[in-house]
Amino acid sequence: MEDIKIGVYVCWCGTNIAKMVDVEDVSKEMKKRPNVILAKDYKYMCSDPGQDMIIQDIKAHQLNRIVVAACSPRMHELTFRKALENAGLNPYMFEMVNIREQVSWVHTNRQEATRKAKALIAGAINRVRWHSSLDKRSVSINPSTMVIGGGISGISAALKIANAGIEVFLIEKEKELGGMLKHIDLSFPHFQNVQEIIQSKKQLVSDNPLIKVFTSCEIEDVFGYVGNFEAKIKCNNDSNTLKFGSIIVATGLKTFDPSPLSNYGYGRLKNVITSLEFEQKLKQGEILTEEGEEPRHIAFIHCVGSRSTENHSYCSRVCCMTALKQAKQAKMVVPEAMVYNLYADMRSVGKNCEEFYAKSFNQDHMFLMFNHQKALPKIMAANESDNCNLIIEVDELLSHEDLEVPADLVVLMVAMEAHEEAKNISHAVGISMCGNDFYIERHPKLDPFSTTTAGVYIVGSCQAPKDIPDSVAQANAAAARILATIIKGSAEVEVTTAEVNEELCCGCQTCVNVCPYTAIVYDADKNVSVVNEILCKGCGTCGSACPNGAIKSHHFTDQQILSQIEGLMQMSFELEEEIL
Amino acid sequence: MRTRVDAKFKHELNKFGAEDWSHCFHCGNCTASCPLSENAALFPRKSLRSIQLGLKDKIISNPEPWLCYYCGDCSEKCPQGANPAELMKTLRRYLISVYDWTGLSRIFYTKHWFEIMVLLVFGIIVGISLSIFNPNAIVYELNAAGGVKINEMFPVATIHLGDLIMAAFVSFFLISNILHMWYRVLLKPKISVPVYLYFTELFSLVYQFVSQSKFSKCDANGRKYWASHWLLMSGYTIMFVLVVVFLPFFQTETIYAWYEPQRLLGYYSTFGILFGLIYFSIGRIKKTTEKFKFSHLADWLFIILLFLTILTGILVHFFRIYGLVEFTYYMYILHLAILVPMICIEVPFSKWSHLAYRPIAIYLFNLKKKAENRSYETNPELAVN
Repeated sequence: MEDIKIGVYVCWCGTNIAKMVDVEDVSKEMKKRPNVILAKDYKYMCSDPGQDMIIQDIKAHQLNRIVVAACSPRMHELTFRKALENAGLNPYMFEMVNIREQVSWVHTNRQEATRKAKALIAGAINRVRWHSSLDKRSVSINPSTMVIGGGISGISAALKIANAGIEVFLIEKEKELGGMLKHIDLSFPHFQNVQEIIQSKKQLVSDNPLIKVFTSCEIEDVFGYVGNFEAKIKCNNDSNTLKFGSIIVATGLKTFDPSPLSNYGYGRLKNVITSLEFEQKLKQGEILTEEGEEPRHIAFIHCVGSRSTENHSYCSRVCCMTALKQAKQAKMVVPEAMVYNLYADMRSVGKNCEEFYAKSFNQDHMFLMFNHQKALPKIMAANESDNCNLIIEVDELLSHEDLEVPADLVVLMVAMEAHEEAKNISHAVGISMCGNDFYIERHPKLDPFSTTTAGVYIVGSCQAPKDIPDSVAQANAAAARILATIIKGSAEVEVTTAEVNEELCCGCQTCVNVCPYTAIVYDADKNVSVVNEILCKGCGTCGSACPNGAIKSHHFTDQQILSQIEGLMQMSFELEEEIL
Repeated sequence: MRTRVDAKFKHELNKFGAEDWSHCFHCGNCTASCPLSENAALFPRKSLRSIQLGLKDKIISNPEPWLCYYCGDCSEKCPQGANPAELMKTLRRYLISVYDWTGLSRIFYTKHWFEIMVLLVFGIIVGISLSIFNPNAIVYELNAAGGVKINEMFPVATIHLGDLIMAAFVSFFLISNILHMWYRVLLKPKISVPVYLYFTELFSLVYQFVSQSKFSKCDANGRKYWASHWLLMSGYTIMFVLVVVFLPFFQTETIYAWYEPQRLLGYYSTFGILFGLIYFSIGRIKKTTEKFKFSHLADWLFIILLFLTILTGILVHFFRIYGLVEFTYYMYILHLAILVPMICIEVPFSKWSHLAYRPIAIYLFNLKKKAENRSYETNPELAVN
């Protein structure tokens, strides 16, 4: 083996680490470990001077292994790997030890924390001796993009990408493009005509020769990996095969069916309708009860299916504003009607939405608050003497009274749910869903439109309930990400993958069955398993499952892991002896 | 038993103080900042909510509006500008019209022209009775001291009788309205009050009536407002008693020294009333504090009528002493033509009635609180209803 020369750097992280770990003592101790040429401590390793220090030391001392003890690798592993690259070393000759989140931030005894830091770094020093160079791997990118779903999100993304000169396949299950916006009359808070908006967007799509629209189509299956996807779609009875490099999933939403909620009587009582059904009445410009009369009392009940332990725990975000909008529109269509808003909380988020809410306070608009967790309102048919169609019983919170609200028409603000096709798409495309059937994003704050599957993006309500501006923003963000990848021309893929030693493999196919990414295939001719390095994510499941130990996980070999354990244990024993 | 909401009810209140309280979203800042609100009486938010929901029965049986002394802190704190202070005032006007079983209050408050017309007509009738139908003519002779012979033009006995009839009229309506109020607040809601409490709480009734100490708890200007109001009230009470009970002692042809009770008491009353009136007028014109920002016709009528009464009274007093016969004669008629309608209309049917309703409301509220025998301080959740 080559002459191992390890450089160890212990970061103060300002006071984040130093307040609980005696970093100077740690670096002094680590200098004594085998193969360690130098051990330094420094205030901010991730800073430019910190990185420069590593680069200079590598060149000056011909270091060929680096250990940095600092924050979480999720923060700066890439930073330090880049520093190694800049110094001419392979980036995988590096090991990072987390002595901030795993030591300083979770311990209160300075001596114990310092000892733990020493043990962890000793382990890393042992491990890094067994690291080998790994070369970067990239795949080429087919610029064509597939957009699944032709609502406002899908259309926005398709237009953005096509306007950059890239071919887009827009797949829509319905006969017409437009998604949920086909059913909306006016938007909140500015009362813009949604039909005009969606029509103009559809026109732009049909005018653009680069967007190939497939309506009344379903996805049968999707194969491949980032930059190199292939899909089989079925349109009526015709099948098509498409090749593309990126996927945008924009399957959108459907509304919650309130029939199971017996207290609202939807489907059983007349004149109880959903917000979507009420929107149709607004589109027609006429609000009539089932008996064909103009209602004198119109009630809106919020949080139907949302924020409940039995149905959906989440808030559907747009219903409060929709209710306020529909209430205002109702007063425009039927000026003499009395409007009641039964809400749990009033959430008017978004630009100009609070101002819209403030303008809703007027004499003929009554707001009543109920407890959505303890006591939902109950709708009942009214008697002849009541002079209205329905009575809503509500335990009102602001007055602490048990009240009755008369209503001729009740509108239920139903929850937003993921589209019924979302599950099929998730299987076809290889992305995960959360318990609420919304797709899971790569990072909830910093990357809400990517997934952990490279090349697949999620935009619009299929990721989480949202309004039109946020859907459009997300769609544009995904489009920008895809265009950036196309410009780069290639995409990097994981190198810490698994590799099958064909001589040791007995062809039992255990690994094929356990791989969550379907990245292993069985070669019947050779009677061995073969790992697709592009699809492999390096999770290590196959390596641990293989009964023969025939699978090697690059950068997580048995030797590396065992030596790390050895280093850690050895240091721990030494330190314990010191105490005793 | 559920109560039906009534969206139309709040329109009834528009005539009593045209404000739109739909902007209140029940943050509760008003009740939190009110210095007079307590766990057993949480106002003004609760009252505002009752109006928004149209809970008429709850409003009519609620004595809380009378516990408010309009410091205006709630309106200052309100983030929505919903003006809860004016709401409580509006409720007081509304309740006056509710307690009055004749229905005249309601018409006076909602149809301004009607009240003014009635006052004018009544005044003219009084004026005509005293002049044209007066069997006694103007007496140009002066008495020995040089003063006008006022008791020959307007015999004390007759005038005294008239005063007593007026007092009886006013008392009849005030007392019957108070009984109606008692019915609405305690009897109809079936709140049973042990009889002994009616006696034990009497002391605080008298004390509140006389001292009006709650005023000073209200706002930074509390002391000033309390003093001005107390001067006006005491002045008015003394004058009322002098005129109704001791008229022969007060309406005299003798010219006493200024420090004798007939004159001294009169001067105190005049001073007290004038001080209060000027303080309130300046406040209402300049809109210096929250409570002076909104004036209903009833508020100005009160000030104007009382001011005119005092003015004509002062003039009668000096004209009589200095022997100006015709001035005395006509000013006396004018004085009564203003005073009689003012007392007969304003006391039982309009703003003046607060002199009875407020102390009685405090009394009834205390009865209710003690009868329900709840410890609001240790169990505040009981307070919410």
